[in-house]
Amino acid sequence: MTDKLERVREFASHAPLAAWLGFEALAGDPIAYKLTFNETHIGNPAIRALHGGVIAAFLELAMQSDLYARVGKRVVTANIAVDYLASSRPEDMTGRVKVLREGRRIAFMEATGWQSGETRLVAVARACFTLG
Amino acid sequence: MTENPSRGEINPAIGTMLRSARDFLAHEHSLFRSLELQPILIGKGKAEFSMALPASFADADGDVHGGLYTIIIDSIFGLCVFTALEEIKPIATINLRTDYIGAIRPGDRAVCAADCEAIRGDVAYVSGRLTAESDGRLLATGAGAFMVGTKGPIKGMRL
Repeated sequence: MTDKLERVREFASHAPLAAWLGFEALAGDPIAYKLTFNETHIGNPAIRALHGGVIAAFLELAMQSDLYARVGKRVVTANIAVDYLASSRPEDMTGRVKVLREGRRIAFMEATGWQSGETRLVAVARACFTLG
Repeated sequence: MTENPSRGEINPAIGTMLRSARDFLAHEHSLFRSLELQPILIGKGKAEFSMALPASFADADGDVHGGLYTIIIDSIFGLCVFTALEEIKPIATINLRTDYIGAIRPGDRAVCAADCEAIRGDVAYVSGRLTAESDGRLLATGAGAFMVGTKGPIKGMRL
């Protein structure tokens, strides 16, 4: 588990987007992912919610990092679909990642984005990645 | 009843709101200021903008991360929904799918073109594409659904 956490952190450390998102991988089994809230993540200042695209970017990076650490190969996103289930708040988000199916050439992943101490499910993303 | 959002002119009140939103986004909103959004076309049910792709949104390979594609597509699609409305209402993304087709390096510029295909009841449907500004190469396509008239505050816009 420690090795996987190190691989996730190493992958994220090479992506400037991770720094912009305030992206962190938290020790645990399974690993949890964190978006550290920043004012630049706000979409609509009138309602002070996180930008939907920022949530999608965070969940994609969580799935990508987790998959890279798992397979040890280059991981390229083919597509992503995000459902926004509830309005978000100007606070950190926790990401939980699940592998739905890992084949030789592609993998299907799912990520959930939570707020308020993982009591409020804000978004669900599914993505397909090519492995190579 | 399905409305055709591309028929007619932008509602004057919506036009005024879009102009003030443009000034706000260009000067005061940190995310959009960094994208240097430039309008190419704004019509009823249509929006096309060019934008910068800052290095802070790069992936581990040094290309622009797909997450920025989705940030741009969600933003321009939302703006496109506003152009199609008959009165100012808050909107929110219900869901969005993005297909990643081409890579591009930070420092280049992209163009996002969005069409509001239909508004049926409280749901607006938008599709569009992201291309490289220099040569028109396809980077991504997107399809999204937006809730029109959310319970949130009416002022401002969801971008």
